[in-house]
Amino acid sequence: MKDDEGEAPTAEAAEEVAGPQTTGPPEDDLDLDNLSKKKKKKKKKKLVLDGGEDEDEAHEAADPDLDLPEIPDDIDLESFGKKKKKKKQPLNLDELDDALPDEKEDDEVDLESFGKKKKKKKRAGELGGDDMKDDDKENVEANPWVDSDRDYTYDELLQRVFNIMRDKNPELVAGEKKRFVMRPPQVVRVGTKKTAFVNFTEIAKMLHRQPKHLLAFLFAELGTVGAIDGNNQLIIKGRFQQKHIENVLRRYIKEYVTCHTCRSPDTILDKETRLFFLQCMSCHSRCSVQTIKTGFQAITSKRSKTKQ
Amino acid sequence: MSIENLKGFDPFADAAKGDEESVQDGLVHIRIQQRNGRKTLTTIQGLSAEYDLKKIVRACKKEFACNGTVVEHPEYGEVLQLQGDQRTKICDWLVKCGLVKADQLKVHGF
Repeated sequence: MKDDEGEAPTAEAAEEVAGPQTTGPPEDDLDLDNLSKKKKKKKKKKLVLDGGEDEDEAHEAADPDLDLPEIPDDIDLESFGKKKKKKKQPLNLDELDDALPDEKEDDEVDLESFGKKKKKKKRAGELGGDDMKDDDKENVEANPWVDSDRDYTYDELLQRVFNIMRDKNPELVAGEKKRFVMRPPQVVRVGTKKTAFVNFTEIAKMLHRQPKHLLAFLFAELGTVGAIDGNNQLIIKGRFQQKHIENVLRRYIKEYVTCHTCRSPDTILDKETRLFFLQCMSCHSRCSVQTIKTGFQAITSKRSKTKQ
Repeated sequence: MSIENLKGFDPFADAAKGDEESVQDGLVHIRIQQRNGRKTLTTIQGLSAEYDLKKIVRACKKEFACNGTVVEHPEYGEVLQLQGDQRTKICDWLVKCGLVKADQLKVHGF
């Protein structure tokens, strides 16, 4: 999968900058720590690096395609690409960085009493920045009880929780998180009756699925037969176009790759007592998936041929 | 002593009724198969045996202006075959006639 390629080097780069304390993908860091300011600064640097690295990666990934006859850009089977996500993140991070100290102070304010608010504003001013103003406004709106003696209402608390949630998980605000982008299947006609699916094994590898499993699904869905030839490409009997294969792949991903609960593609498919189970690595849910059945196949060849 | 909550409501009433009423129990699979040249065949598998498939196919043929047959299969029961790619049409039609609910349809193929 492309994700992995992108993530690994960035993590390394991050270590160079941030030292041993922050490892792993930046998303995780986000949620876990926000305590010291030093860290935050480092994080910002890291993110810039991330962006650069990623684009390089994307170019590299695209290059090998150039010599092949069809050079469609990376289509995304799910929806828009990774770049957008990356672009959004730094933005959200900035907000986050600014917002987080405020939150901490909010807690103080809640616990003790008002009067501290002025201080907070001053501190906020020190932190400075255009974003700050917006954030301050938001805070005032979010915690209207801060200035008064009254108890907070349920609605206000709810609002507060949601604000915190949004601040800490910028992906949630952006809608779907972690889209995963696929290479388009390369489909070439072989003669008049057969179709070759050139990067079949590559795609199976990208999805972290056994080629055998994907193959069984493709044949069952398309109602045809075929085989893998010497160059690891799939030869399918019948005429199929790229969009057809894309459709089927999309269905495969929906059923056998993405987690049914959280839709994360980080899943493992394992066979247990003749049943396939999909285990999600991010939410740890586990559910069974449909078995691949060919179903009814009508006789399409001449009857005289089948009798032989 | 009686448990108030369980009075007057049989939790299994639904299940028993469901078997009879929703004749269409399982999924209806609609597939497409390629024949010679650019010709195709649409198969509809899993329609309930309580329906008269012959009548259905007669109506389908008229509606979609195509030929079609009913094929008996030892494992899958009676299967409808229609000439050409009728997948979207047959889906709409089956739902419109109330033979199958939309969530019971499963369309295969490209």
